[in-house]
Amino acid sequence: MNSYISVENVYKYFDDKCVSNNISLEIPQGEIFGLLGPNGAGKTTLIRMLATITQPDKGTIYINGEALSEKHIKQIGYMPEERGLYKKMSVVDQLLFFAELKGYSRNQAKEEVKFWMNKLEIVDWAPKKMEELSKGMAQKIQFISTILHKPKFLILDEPFSGFDPVNADMVKDLIIELKNQGTTILFSTHRMDNIEELCNHLAIIHQGEKILDGKINEIRQQFFNREYALEFIENENIEYDHNEFSLIQSQINNFGRREFTIQLKENQAPRDLLNHYAKYNNMIGFKEKIPTIHQIFVNKVTSKK
Amino acid sequence: MKNIWVILKREYTVRVKNKTFVIMTFLAPILIGLFYGGSIYFATKGAEDNTLKKIYIEGNQALCKSMDKSFDNFSFIIPQKNTNIEKELSEEKIDGWLILNDLDLRFLDSSQLIVKNSFSLNTKSSLNTFIKTQATKILLQSKGITQATIDSSEALGNISMVEENELGEKQQSSTEIKSAVGLVMSLVIYMFIFIYGSMVMRSAMEEKTNRIVEVIVSSVKPFELMLGKILGVALVGLTQFMAWILLSFTLVLGIGKYFNIALENSKNLPNTGGKQEIIQSAMDQSNILESIGQLPYAQIITVFFIFFLGGYLLYSSVFAAIGSAVNQETDVQQFMFPVSMPLIFGIIIAQSVVFQSPNGELAKIFSMIPFTSPILMCVRVPFGVSWTEIFTSALILYTTFFLMVWLSAKIYRIGILMYGKKPTWKDFAKWIRQ
Repeated sequence: MNSYISVENVYKYFDDKCVSNNISLEIPQGEIFGLLGPNGAGKTTLIRMLATITQPDKGTIYINGEALSEKHIKQIGYMPEERGLYKKMSVVDQLLFFAELKGYSRNQAKEEVKFWMNKLEIVDWAPKKMEELSKGMAQKIQFISTILHKPKFLILDEPFSGFDPVNADMVKDLIIELKNQGTTILFSTHRMDNIEELCNHLAIIHQGEKILDGKINEIRQQFFNREYALEFIENENIEYDHNEFSLIQSQINNFGRREFTIQLKENQAPRDLLNHYAKYNNMIGFKEKIPTIHQIFVNKVTSKK
Repeated sequence: MKNIWVILKREYTVRVKNKTFVIMTFLAPILIGLFYGGSIYFATKGAEDNTLKKIYIEGNQALCKSMDKSFDNFSFIIPQKNTNIEKELSEEKIDGWLILNDLDLRFLDSSQLIVKNSFSLNTKSSLNTFIKTQATKILLQSKGITQATIDSSEALGNISMVEENELGEKQQSSTEIKSAVGLVMSLVIYMFIFIYGSMVMRSAMEEKTNRIVEVIVSSVKPFELMLGKILGVALVGLTQFMAWILLSFTLVLGIGKYFNIALENSKNLPNTGGKQEIIQSAMDQSNILESIGQLPYAQIITVFFIFFLGGYLLYSSVFAAIGSAVNQETDVQQFMFPVSMPLIFGIIIAQSVVFQSPNGELAKIFSMIPFTSPILMCVRVPFGVSWTEIFTSALILYTTFFLMVWLSAKIYRIGILMYGKKPTWKDFAKWIRQ
């Protein structure tokens, strides 16, 4: 695996409290990496260190093999969770300001701003002041200001908060487009559906420590404990025979169907399960129950408490 | 460096393009003029009791006779025999009843003024002076000196102070003008520090409360952000100040031209006492102009700009740190008060001690302390301050500024990312150590 960002044994303290406790991460080049953790887990602390806003008290962060320092600022784009823009400034002045801060000359900045405003079809907004824009519009401008300088490493902290579904999809497409162009993206969120949809890798942080990381598919496989779901058209007159199998749960699901969750024993194969229940001719479904990231997250975080 | 420039440019253009800035730039000199003019008017005219005072006089025959006329706002009347003075006084038909029962006019201690409503301090004192003058005239006449001799023996005018420099050249010296110039400069500095210092503070607060700051510090160092902000606002202040100077200059020139025409016209008036007075006042004016012309301008302007900028830089770096640390406007007061104390103290010292002894020990000490020196130096400089003293004080001021920027940057760097609880002085100390 070719890592673009390597976090090696990083510690950060506030007063005597350890908010990053020996954290190590490998973020592969050109991937979207999900960072998960409950509130107060230390995500923002880690992200701020990655964005060069603060420095680790111990340990090192590498970007493309070099120790991360201020000279890498221009390669990084950061959209914090708590974000905002100058209310009294016009959209175009605002974007030019951010482009210049990232090292663009005035003319380059103008070119870039023009390109993005055309791409997102917001040319008409250029002279408007930020305070005249809706929240969704402002979020769009905020997003442009983050990626305007073509960062190689993009940090997005809850990027979809405040977006309606249409704009959220637009930003999602943009994120995928940037990924396809080779941008490495760190994506921090509470929304597991976004993680599963966008990320290949993830890490869970809890109470300042990394409690899990790896490829999402592998993690889900790792947490798979041989549970299967069987679905039947509900019929109160049928008596099911479960004697060979351990029934974990029996319930009527959202579609009004009878659903059994069964965990296979060591010596049992999925085929045995299927053979046994196939005799009930009201059976309509059979599937592996691979845990969702949400389940794994809740499981890990609550077991840690 | 480039980042400081980008930040500075933003701070400057956003403010200068603001409508309030444009309006204030043109309106402020007019408002200040009206304010000062108004206060001078009310201090001299408005508060004065201008109503005519009717006063019955009795007692010393000679004195009563000499006073039986109107003077200033007083109308003295010798009452008829059958007048019920007490009744008229209580009905407020007259304002006072003056009984001059002294036999020896050299001592007026037993004379009394009976009133229903007390006279103001000014009215009482001008009445007193008038009676004394009349008594003196009567005493002189009783010694054989005629009224004409007395009138032609009165000395008029004021002495003038002349300064002699090292080269033995004599110069017109006006303590009043020096004090005025010094006081105006120190007040300008005081206002500039407060207005633009709090502008820096609000700017830091705005970035924090609008949550822009985290985006910005991922591109620039907090130190660069703070310095860009301070310098940008300083430039806004200087722009406004230059505009004010130009405007005032134009106004003063305009008014000067108007007065010159008035003076020319007055010379063509017939030879009366009126003309005499105008010429006298023109001479006074030319003395004042001469004194103004002879102030050490190069020194005054240099000192003003050095200390004007130094004072602003020092205080605004402290204000920036405060703005970065607080979460809302209401938390500002507890920090602003102790920080602005030295500035207020400076103005108090400037007004009291310096006017009494501009080159005294106390003045010298406080013009070395960087938190009061911008104000004190400017008050003192029209009276003449040695370049060594100016240089030393400026050195201390700018060294303290660099030290303060360094300390403030430490607070700023942490403050801008701290949300939630209200900070304390203890937090500041902790952030500096971190």
